[in-house]
Amino acid sequence: MMGSSFIKTRHLKTRHIALFTAIGTALVVAPLLMPDNYWLRIYGMTGLYVMLALGLNVVAGFTGLLDLAYVAFFGIGAYLFAFLSSNHFGIHLPFLLVLPISALITMGCGFALGASSIRLRGDYLAIVTLAFSQIFKLLLLNLNQPINITGGVNGIYNFDPIDIFGLKIMSPQAYSYLIWCFAMLVIVGSFRFKRSRIGRGWEAIREDELAAEVIGVHTTWMKLMAFAGGAFVAGASGTLFASFQDSVFPNNFDFAQLVVIYCMVILGGLGNITGVVMGAILLSILPEFLREYGAYRMISYGLILILLMAFRPQGILGEVGFFTKPKKRPEKDETGILRASTDLYYPEADLPTWTEGPRYTRGDHPVLEVKNVTMNFGGLRAVNDLSFSLHEREILSIIGPNGSGKTTLFNLISGIYAPSTGHIFFKGKEITGFKPHRIAKAGIARTFQNLRLFNNMSVLDNVKVGQFCRTKSGPLSIHLGSALHKKEERETERVAKEILGLFGTRLAGYRYDQKAMFLSFANRRRLEIARAMSTHAEVLMLDEPSAGMNPQETIEMTDFIKKLRDRYGYTILVIEHKLGVVKTISNRVIVLDYGSKIAEGSYDQVANHKPVIEAYLGRERN
Amino acid sequence: MEIYLQQLPQQLVNGLTIGGVYALIAIGYTMVYGILSMLNFAHGEIYMIGGFTGWWVLHLLSRQNVPIVNAALLISLMLILSMVVTGILGMGIERFAYRPLRKSPRMNLLLSALGVSILLQNLVLNYQGAKVRFFHVTSLIPESIRVFQVGNVVFSFTRILVLMVAFMLMVLLTVLVKRTKIGKAMRATAQDPEAAMFMGIDVDRIVVFVFLIGSALGGAAGTLVGLLFTQVDYYVGFQAGLKGFTAAVLGGIGNIFGAMMGGILLGLVESLATTFFPATYKDVVAFIILIIVLIFRPWGLMGEKIPEKV
Repeated sequence: MMGSSFIKTRHLKTRHIALFTAIGTALVVAPLLMPDNYWLRIYGMTGLYVMLALGLNVVAGFTGLLDLAYVAFFGIGAYLFAFLSSNHFGIHLPFLLVLPISALITMGCGFALGASSIRLRGDYLAIVTLAFSQIFKLLLLNLNQPINITGGVNGIYNFDPIDIFGLKIMSPQAYSYLIWCFAMLVIVGSFRFKRSRIGRGWEAIREDELAAEVIGVHTTWMKLMAFAGGAFVAGASGTLFASFQDSVFPNNFDFAQLVVIYCMVILGGLGNITGVVMGAILLSILPEFLREYGAYRMISYGLILILLMAFRPQGILGEVGFFTKPKKRPEKDETGILRASTDLYYPEADLPTWTEGPRYTRGDHPVLEVKNVTMNFGGLRAVNDLSFSLHEREILSIIGPNGSGKTTLFNLISGIYAPSTGHIFFKGKEITGFKPHRIAKAGIARTFQNLRLFNNMSVLDNVKVGQFCRTKSGPLSIHLGSALHKKEERETERVAKEILGLFGTRLAGYRYDQKAMFLSFANRRRLEIARAMSTHAEVLMLDEPSAGMNPQETIEMTDFIKKLRDRYGYTILVIEHKLGVVKTISNRVIVLDYGSKIAEGSYDQVANHKPVIEAYLGRERN
Repeated sequence: MEIYLQQLPQQLVNGLTIGGVYALIAIGYTMVYGILSMLNFAHGEIYMIGGFTGWWVLHLLSRQNVPIVNAALLISLMLILSMVVTGILGMGIERFAYRPLRKSPRMNLLLSALGVSILLQNLVLNYQGAKVRFFHVTSLIPESIRVFQVGNVVFSFTRILVLMVAFMLMVLLTVLVKRTKIGKAMRATAQDPEAAMFMGIDVDRIVVFVFLIGSALGGAAGTLVGLLFTQVDYYVGFQAGLKGFTAAVLGGIGNIFGAMMGGILLGLVESLATTFFPATYKDVVAFIILIIVLIFRPWGLMGEKIPEKV
């Protein structure tokens, strides 16, 4: 077993080495093979488009933010080079200084744009960023008077030649080497980011922003990082572009340019790095072969967008990539017996021995305290002056008719809503009004009643996202592949697999790489729990964990919840409608009706409580 | 300051006119948003094609820039045909670019809309060229009624015409939405498409109808602006679309009455801004308003904030 996996990784390594050698040789040889300077220029522009497309891929592909100001960042980078390295203002800084300066300033602009529009989503974000890019272009066109800053329509030209430690970059050949060096940096960076905590955080935001926040991803910060990261790449490409073209005009940064970059990203598939690189290369070179149809170029971009969205929204390459592992679906195990996902009881022996600690018992002091919490929505009081406490290692069930405020209570504790009045304490510290990601980090994790998994991410990645709030690697350490990052990645993978292993073969093995949306309903519920556990929470809040499960699966889930408490020491707050489940697992039960607590105690006490019976069945006629 | 006060009445009239046009464009955005919760990026292009249709009608029925038919008939024809063409176009766009995507993520729908916008703009560019087409309206309107002056405010006939047509169309739309059966179905679909379907409403038909009405109003706006500013080119849709969207957002998107108010408000603000800023920054002012409103009151100046259901 160990041997075979070892060989497999070796095999993957040799494959990678072969690939890297091939790419390296191609990059060295390609400029020498170009027939003339015209094609060398196209080759250079292709490198720039690869960079631009990958930068946009961070914002639009990974994070799912429709940023239509992207081309403005490209422009800012270009104009900064024009300002800082030409006769225009008489400033002549060396290229090696201008490049980081303009990339960083552009990043700052991206950060500012992100910060101002951070609360907007989808269409609104698109329109605000579009308005920003329009303002940018209007400024470029009109800021040539009263004092000439941007040169208006005529732009700025004649820049200082690039001089890298005495090495002058003048010929198109030298430029193509330089540009492709940076393009490779961006490509490698993209791959590293995609397989890092930050990449997973971004993708989680794209899939379900609220779920990402609740599971511990600092969504505001991550979105800002996506904006800033995209802008950084765009700014650097802009600087290179300005020097390459030796001039900048407002037209270089108009809406059509943005559409071209978007088409590249979408053709390759949003978020698919290999695809995006291919898309950029294809759309930079193809128009050259179709020059006589040049007039139809923009028309075809429009058609590309419409048709791809209708027929292949995942891009031409779809799920294919250089670095994706071959898919395996062992429907049969080694003995040839068919394995179905509906296999019920898995043998107890299959379970890995995961922190098989002492059997836990209920502690005496409260972990979570809710004090006089009230929540009003307009005129509706969803939760009314509710107080209770949750003790260490107990299962407290919340029951009540529909609309009695159970889920609102969960939303209050997990920080989605701030209570109108009242306080919530976790281990003695007040957490009232904390953002959800801070609550997750403090140690409270939850599941959702109507399943909010990251559907387009793999099962393993879904669980790995939960580790976001326990890991620290920043962008630099990810791009450089630092020891800290590698260690954290290994640890994240280990923990994720261990947690998934708790569900037997249900979510393990070939399922690791399966997208969450292909799981059965019951498995998705299990995955939600696994994801919540992965945050290293102490308190789990399960919102109807057995809803939609058949009786067999319900029994299994009941056992599992008990095991979570008894064997792994979790403290659990659970909302459940199936009273059989409630009876089996609960240490205590709280009954809510119209937002108020009408009973609290053991299951038997509560079940015989008259107001509870009335709330469920109605008042007896006298 | 004195001079601004003198200009004020004139600017108010100008603002009201252009505001009426913005309102017509905004209605198209807001109706589609209300029902599909999507931003129809292509709406600006529909407006542009409306303008071109109007120009073609005028061009075909004129000899040496002098109309060969009755002026009133010609103007009505321009309006009606531009509404018919854009209405059909809107339905086609819905059918081929948006309907297949109704269940996919919002971003795909937006990108498809972006594609439609680019496609239409460049189709027009290819077949019409980039040159500006002029509406020769001077010969259309008899000299005696071309310009009125009340105090120091100048009313041109076209201005009054545009204002009247815009407001008439808005009144008709209000009646349609508030008083007719299909209007009721539209409102129901906007509230909850699924529930509307269960009540026997053919939601697909309502969506098509909304695209028809919204696009026709956008097309009418295109022709009206052509009459007012006497020119159209392939690129006008982009700016006008952004303006219309700004107006829709100002009034709270999805709210038809709000879109009307938002359009008029935007027109007034813009024309007042031109007395303080150079005209080249007029658009910058409008976009900054859009950004500020979206950031601080994304539910519009009049609308109510609706909490997100978790």
